[in-house]
Amino acid sequence: MTAIGKVVATELKPATPHQFHFWTATDTSVGIGAIVKVAEGGTGGTGDGGRVVYGVVTEGFAYSDLATPLHDVVGAEGDPTRADEAPTARQQIRYWTAAVLRQTPEEPLQPVPLGQVYVADDADVAQALRMDTFLFSATPTAIPVGLYTSAGRDSPVYLDADFLLGPEAAHLNISGVSGLATKTSAVEFLLASIFAHFPAHKGRVAAVCFNVKGPDLCFLDQPGDLSDEDRRRYERLEVPSEPFQRVRLYAPLKADGVNLNTLRTHPDLVGDVEPLTWGLQEVVDYAEVLLNRDDIDAKADAFIDFLRDRVLGRTFDDGFGTTHRVQTFADLDRFFRAVFDGLEITAGGRSDTWRTHHIATMRKVRNRLLNISTRCKGLVTDDGPSSDLPWNGFEDRTVYVIDIANVDPLGQDLVFARVVSRLREQLERRELGVDAVIVFVDELNKYAPGDGPETYVKKMLLDISERGRYLGLVLFGAEQFRSQVHRRVVGNAGTQVFGRMDMDELATPGYQVLTPATKSKLATLPIGELMIRHPHFTQPIFVRFPKPPVLRGRDGVERFPPAADVPFEDAVVRQLVRLDRRVRPNQVKDLIADREQDDVRRALAAVRRTRPDDVLAYFRKVLGARVEPEALLREHHAVPPLNPISDEPY
Amino acid sequence: MTWWRALVDAGAVPGRGSTRDEVEAGARADLVEENELQTHPIPEPRIPDPVSFLNGIERWSVVAYDGVVQVVNAYVAAAVRRRDATGGLHTTFERSRGFAIAPLDRMTPMVRQALEQSVADVESVPSELVEQPARYLEMIEATVRRARARMERELAEEALDDLAADEWLVIDGLLSRSPDVARHPRALGVIKSHGAQFLEGRGLERALTLPAGYRTSVFAVRGGHTRTEVYSWYLRLWPWEGNDLLYGLLRIEARAHPDTVARASALSAWLWTERAPLATPATRWDRLLYPLHHVEEYLKARAPRDLQQRASRMSRLPRLAS
Repeated sequence: MTAIGKVVATELKPATPHQFHFWTATDTSVGIGAIVKVAEGGTGGTGDGGRVVYGVVTEGFAYSDLATPLHDVVGAEGDPTRADEAPTARQQIRYWTAAVLRQTPEEPLQPVPLGQVYVADDADVAQALRMDTFLFSATPTAIPVGLYTSAGRDSPVYLDADFLLGPEAAHLNISGVSGLATKTSAVEFLLASIFAHFPAHKGRVAAVCFNVKGPDLCFLDQPGDLSDEDRRRYERLEVPSEPFQRVRLYAPLKADGVNLNTLRTHPDLVGDVEPLTWGLQEVVDYAEVLLNRDDIDAKADAFIDFLRDRVLGRTFDDGFGTTHRVQTFADLDRFFRAVFDGLEITAGGRSDTWRTHHIATMRKVRNRLLNISTRCKGLVTDDGPSSDLPWNGFEDRTVYVIDIANVDPLGQDLVFARVVSRLREQLERRELGVDAVIVFVDELNKYAPGDGPETYVKKMLLDISERGRYLGLVLFGAEQFRSQVHRRVVGNAGTQVFGRMDMDELATPGYQVLTPATKSKLATLPIGELMIRHPHFTQPIFVRFPKPPVLRGRDGVERFPPAADVPFEDAVVRQLVRLDRRVRPNQVKDLIADREQDDVRRALAAVRRTRPDDVLAYFRKVLGARVEPEALLREHHAVPPLNPISDEPY
Repeated sequence: MTWWRALVDAGAVPGRGSTRDEVEAGARADLVEENELQTHPIPEPRIPDPVSFLNGIERWSVVAYDGVVQVVNAYVAAAVRRRDATGGLHTTFERSRGFAIAPLDRMTPMVRQALEQSVADVESVPSELVEQPARYLEMIEATVRRARARMERELAEEALDDLAADEWLVIDGLLSRSPDVARHPRALGVIKSHGAQFLEGRGLERALTLPAGYRTSVFAVRGGHTRTEVYSWYLRLWPWEGNDLLYGLLRIEARAHPDTVARASALSAWLWTERAPLATPATRWDRLLYPLHHVEEYLKARAPRDLQQRASRMSRLPRLAS
């Protein structure tokens, strides 16, 4: 091994146990982020009999023997065009500062010896990053995260699964500017790497990804274009360069209740998308999500608890002569109207409380609950049953994508809260089907901001961050501005990843530990390069990762253009055919002709939920017989506005 | 207004400070180009490639007293560095000598024995001046300087033997130290000190008021200890007006051959370009070519730590922690 530099120390810039300085030739492969080795004694960098120190270059300087810039001006006689005419080049230096990654022996901890400096090879990189402990153990837990490519090297860098997915530490946070930081790509690659390398002794693993932007995560099962260089990197990292083998996509329905609210509606692909629809029972448990900060008070909580415990799904007498059995939003609306009418008519408007609950509190809760069925129509059905994730049957190494990109923000919160809560419940009971679940949430700036109201979603993210690792519930969060995400959410992420960063963001206090050179590198980081902080790494490390082996969202939309919404009848046919290819479209169209769309939707939902062997027969059965129009005097189930009976603001 | 302003107004050239070089014996110069010393503007430069530069250093310090006998630790070194196509300098020849200087016959037997046993290279000097410390040290300085000159001469001869077909060797100081060097067709001596004067009368005035970017006519001198004849001329690198008469003034030595006269302008133009980069922070940067300065800095960096700075320039106060 050939020395590429020499450690130098002066009284003003001494070598310490954590930092040292060295010089190299002007023409050198060393740069910011390069890992180097200092060997004391021995030959060829072996360090035989002496101390070996590994460091990462954090700062670089170049200067010449020019005493003052004025001398250069004088030498060129003030003419910049003559500045390069000097026949002799001034003596220059390339002077580097490196932060210590590891010393061997580790005790006694001493200043870095003034030895020769070598570029680290693969084995040195493993030593320097303390990867040897989990890479070469009896039960390896190494997950490739990318290639260390500084100084002309090409060494795999691994994360420790025990510190990435628990139980020692967990969670990953990735920051960077939109478009250039490749946050989504990095997570996609890392998921592929985890699925390929998650150790068998740690059990089964799955991922739940919330697609909150356009078609970002809609084509994870489709192959993308990879360059030869990307394939070589996959080979080097021993990760298959193939799209995810098992992907389950979920998307809510549109307001028509039959067309899917997703950009993956191309005829060749839409069959793989499962509808995601929830009814009252699924929503009311997360009513707190629907209430903003001003709404959260003991009275509203108490009334929601009352509804949940005494009303929903039970036979309930309202005290005004009506018995209710509330199972749908429509039932709930009828219940509220009966109570309000009772207070106004039966009690003559003299009482403003019912069962100790003030009418204003009831109106507030009623508005919040019933609004969701309007604002998130398609996700939440007025009176239909639900279509949900397989809470008892998550499959190993499967990605569950929930596309909520086009859902109302309130609905996004609801989906997020409910999915994560259910994951947590099932993991606690060990009934999910897998031992660990990675939850990927983009736009943490929005869901867990450092300031702003204490929303249910934020509390939930904090809860995952702080307690998820014990359960196997792991948060992979991404955001543009890390400084604006709640400190406890990013602080609890054992692994921190940084793509290209905005200079303003880098000027915030959270980045003070980085040198100006590292910040400059972060601000100009090319696509596909990341800076990693991991519990085993004492300093941030730069790695390159290959392009994900999946079709990028925008490419997917170009290759598989979303289909236009189909008419109601065709949408019903499509859903039934997806469940049973024997179903004939004409038979379905004959069945639903002249039928109420709500009835058809209910029947369709029942088929989705039951998944019978004979889909058409079951659909026919739940749809029921045709009823003569004059007998079909249905009550309108929409939620009409209430007449205000007081000055209450809700 | 200062009184000398009136002189400037009357036609005098403003000056500032002065440079004093040690007076050396000079010989009468014979012009070999033109009948009267003239000044010539230099043409567009053409820089030869490659070029090697030779320089040397000397260091000495009294390290022990045997009675009044001062025992000296001395170090001389010289190096040749070749300039590559990128302008970088790389050492091609290097030599150094660390030695002791003492009047051995005046030393006590035990100390002399200890000296001879501990130092392989001891140069004995006459003992007559031992009781006159100042003159003794002058003799020591001359001894060290001779050792350095000898080393530079030997290294120059060695370097010239190895010189490539089109390569030039630029030596800091007299070319005429060695007959072989003085006669080499691609060796140049660059002299910064002007203690020896070779011109007189109108010729001297023209030489000392030479404008920047001009050279004088070529003249023949017998220089150095070898008295080998060389051709020489003056070249002004920087305007002396506003400074002093010797500011930026070089004397160039080349072999005594008609080719030298023919090439004098082209060689001057090349050396003119060597003004940049400035050889700062050297005090005589106006006359010191950067590559020669670079060789000197290289040698200084490699000199023994205890001799890197002249003792006389160091504070005698105890060193304090910073």
